[in-house]
Amino acid sequence: MQEQVKNGDGIIELKGLTKRFGEIVVLNDISLTFEKGKTTVIIGPSGCGKTVLIKHIIVLLRPSSGEIYFHNQRIDNLDERELGKVRAQMGFLFQGGALFDSLTVYENILFPVKQHTQTKDTRKLDEIVKMKLAMVGMDGFQNYYPARLSGGQKKRVALARAVALNPEVILYDEPTTGLDPIRADIINELILKTQKELGVTSIVVTHDMNSAYKIGDRIIMLHNGKILIDGNAETFKNSTLPIVQGFIRGKVSEKDLKSLQVSFEDIKIDGIQ
Amino acid sequence: MAELKQQKGSMVEQLGGATVRMVGNCGRFSRFQADSLVASFAACFRPATYPLIWNQMLAIGVRSVPVVMITGAFVGMVLAIQAYDQLAGLGIEEHLGVLINLSVVKELGPVLAAVMLAGRVGGALTAELGTMNVTEQILAVRSMGTDPIRYLVAPRLIACLFLTPFLIIYADFLGMIGGYLISVPYLGINSRAYWSLSAAGVEMFDITVGIAKGFFFGAAIAGVSCYKGFHCKEGAQGVGEACTEAFVGSFIIILAIDFVLVVVFKAIYASIWPIKILL
Ligand SMILES: Nc1ncnc2c1ncn2[C@@H]1O[C@H](COP(=O)(O)OP(=O)(O)OP(=O)(O)O)[C@@H](O)[C@H]1O
Ligand SMILES: [Mg+2]
Repeated sequence: MQEQVKNGDGIIELKGLTKRFGEIVVLNDISLTFEKGKTTVIIGPSGCGKTVLIKHIIVLLRPSSGEIYFHNQRIDNLDERELGKVRAQMGFLFQGGALFDSLTVYENILFPVKQHTQTKDTRKLDEIVKMKLAMVGMDGFQNYYPARLSGGQKKRVALARAVALNPEVILYDEPTTGLDPIRADIINELILKTQKELGVTSIVVTHDMNSAYKIGDRIIMLHNGKILIDGNAETFKNSTLPIVQGFIRGKVSEKDLKSLQVSFEDIKIDGIQ
Repeated sequence: MAELKQQKGSMVEQLGGATVRMVGNCGRFSRFQADSLVASFAACFRPATYPLIWNQMLAIGVRSVPVVMITGAFVGMVLAIQAYDQLAGLGIEEHLGVLINLSVVKELGPVLAAVMLAGRVGGALTAELGTMNVTEQILAVRSMGTDPIRYLVAPRLIACLFLTPFLIIYADFLGMIGGYLISVPYLGINSRAYWSLSAAGVEMFDITVGIAKGFFFGAAIAGVSCYKGFHCKEGAQGVGEACTEAFVGSFIIILAIDFVLVVVFKAIYASIWPIKILL
């Protein structure tokens, strides 16, 4: 109770979140409070459970143990119908985009709008789509099917869909992966802009340290199912932990280099000199 | 000896594990079907879902008409050829019409049309939903606060449920025509005798029962296929496996439902028979 008063600005709260897949513990007793109107960046090596973590925030996965709160209301034990209302207040950008491939870009973006509002006015709907697409530089692609878009273009359309309902909280799973540096920076600016102008709370999973420094009010590094570091850009730059330094500089450790060498020496095919 | 014990333990373990898995799957399956039926019922009263239902009806119903008609026609034709010799041996070849039409209307039309649909429609449903599942599209529907069963399963279930009986009518009709074409012009049976005996032998009850089976078969095909699609394993292989399992599963369920319905309808028929005579 005391904690809640202290973190009065907390919009999302994880308490002792643990997730197991069979024997494997992916998240191990994680407690976190995400502040309203702030951008939190989650980083960590590939496969450490970042996607699993943000899927829990919108309860696409249920915790093995622990609790999840949204606006001080417990949500991890709600049924799917009640969760629908909670989820309508959040936007989720999937790592792979997850666009509906039987619908056009236009219909994809209107999907959440049609599900949660009664708007029938086509002119207004057209305008919403145009605006959201222009935001990610994809205006003019309304009638394309996702199969005809490049990887980066899909990502941008998926981003437009995630923000279509002007949600309070937006969860981004690697928004800039697969984009060129300029596009990536536009996405960074977009996240900053939604925060400043609309007071949106963003939680961003990324591998891109430049992006993390630029947009993150707070940066969290996950490692082995635990929070390794929780701080801001300065904390990270000043950290003396070898894992952190290796990660932010993109440097391979001696051990990994060695295993690389061994794996090449092992490959010898008979009959080839 | 120790090894044997170890193996025995693991055998019991395996058996137990398999049983637990099976019970779990049965529960999931029943839950899914219950949710789907509730969602479908609700969808009938929501005009917003009508466009989705029309689309599915086009894909599931209209596009299946040709294959179902071809199936029906061949069934009628083959029956005529096969049964002719037996009946001619007894000198009652004019009863061929009763035999063909009764078999087609009561059993072969509905069951073979349903099996055809299980392959054509069931396969497509499982593949589509399975692909949506492995590419996280079903998760995306959930993430936007929409119930995927309401959005994806209900329209498909409704379309299958209401269109299978109609497709059975097509199969029956073509089966009758196929049987007629072989019996009368080819085998030279008297046309009047063929039809009058058929009319006397095939009752309205038989036709109704055959078509009514369609509702159950349609629901079974959609239910099994959607379930398999929603629960398929990762990757292209997972989708392929799900399609095979969906077809085999719906085939067996169609046959099992058919058996149960035959028993039930026979009891109903027996109980209304005295009343019918009075009428
Ligand atoms: N549905 C699942 N069933 C079993 N294991 C899973 C499942 N989803 C994720 N995992 C496991 O959880 C771990 C974390 O996966 P996750 O997708 O969260 O990684 P990540 O940090 O997002 O990696 P990346 O940066 O490569 O996207 C992985 O080891 C993965 O094998
Ligand atoms: Mg990930």
